[in-house]
Amino acid sequence: MTSAPLHIDRERQMAITRIAARVAQLLQAYNAESRIIEQTTERFGIAFGLDSIEIALTSKAVILTSRFGEHCVTTTRTMKAHGIDMGIVCEVQRICILAEKQIYDLETVKCKLDNLNIPKYPPLLIAVFVALSCACFSRLFGGDVVIFVCTWLASFIAMRIRQWLTALHHNLLTVFFITAFVATFIGSGATAFGWGNNPELVMVSSVLQLVPGFPLINAVSDLVKGHITIGMARWMTATLLTLASTLGIVLAVQLGQIGTWL
Amino acid sequence: MVLLFDLAEDALFSGIAAFGFALLFNVPKQALKACFFFAAAAHAFRTLLLFWQLPIEWASFITATLLGLAVVHWSRLVLIPRPVVTVAAVIPMVPGVYAYKSMVGLMSLHHQGFNEALLQQVVENSLLTIFILVGLSFGLAIAPVLVYRDKPIV
Repeated sequence: MTSAPLHIDRERQMAITRIAARVAQLLQAYNAESRIIEQTTERFGIAFGLDSIEIALTSKAVILTSRFGEHCVTTTRTMKAHGIDMGIVCEVQRICILAEKQIYDLETVKCKLDNLNIPKYPPLLIAVFVALSCACFSRLFGGDVVIFVCTWLASFIAMRIRQWLTALHHNLLTVFFITAFVATFIGSGATAFGWGNNPELVMVSSVLQLVPGFPLINAVSDLVKGHITIGMARWMTATLLTLASTLGIVLAVQLGQIGTWL
Repeated sequence: MVLLFDLAEDALFSGIAAFGFALLFNVPKQALKACFFFAAAAHAFRTLLLFWQLPIEWASFITATLLGLAVVHWSRLVLIPRPVVTVAAVIPMVPGVYAYKSMVGLMSLHHQGFNEALLQQVVENSLLTIFILVGLSFGLAIAPVLVYRDKPIV
């Protein structure tokens, strides 16, 4: 702590608070666990010589107060959900750790956070591998090679549609509904023609790309670690996403009049 | 021997499954390999526990606990927060099919009218979903909550 000045004037405290709020906002927008958000901002404030940073998380906003002696600065940031991006979460946390080790000063941190440039994997590659994931699930449930290929194809097409809809900034629930519909509808073709050893596996496995696993695990983790309201909000989001995909599945099954899901 | 082969196959396919989801979550490149191996090991281990007749929720809990503890060392080495890998590695064990089945069952209850067999299915599937999920998350939380209580892991 040698380089941190002993006295922090109001301007500087406000600057630190703004950056801490930015950190919290980024971490929350890209779906980091609440405990990580809390710890990271707290350590960030202490690294720059503040007494503490107190943070209140809600599902739509971050409220953050920094304390130094008798001065408090409070600020609120609304959260714009961006979906899951672990690359950004890692990078933000790395910047904070480097700041804690006194390698980055405040200006560098601000500059780095403003110019976050995390490469995304090419969408086609993602679609290929996510479809492969679903195909692997079908294999784990005991499907044969025909099932594997059919599942891959159905979920690949569904995944491309999902990416296209997401790029158009559609509501997440709509995206899940349409994707589940497409995947099930294509998948029910295998049932209609009786391909493979257990044709209904294609329908079942190709929608598994839509299971909101990340929000569900995060939800329970938050609940376990005492962030009850956020945990419940995440649980509800995950339930709604499951509901939306189920609606898509049911619609496709009803339209196709083939196969059952239960 | 047959069991060993089955486990290896199980590990391979669940590893690939986790890898796909890791790409979807935009996990940084240096963590992708870890996602694959941790997921493969975890899922194969759970399959082994299931083979030994453990209930699935306890098997998930034990696996997630060991996974959470195993990732701590790796996470300190490369300065990447633990959830980045643990959540991706746990994805193949998330009870997606049970979750969908309970939702489809609920809709059928409305659509076809009440009947006991259907209700039984809904209740069983949703309880399984909830307990497996809780088992997984509790397991992952063991490392930070019980073992490394006061200090952050990274």
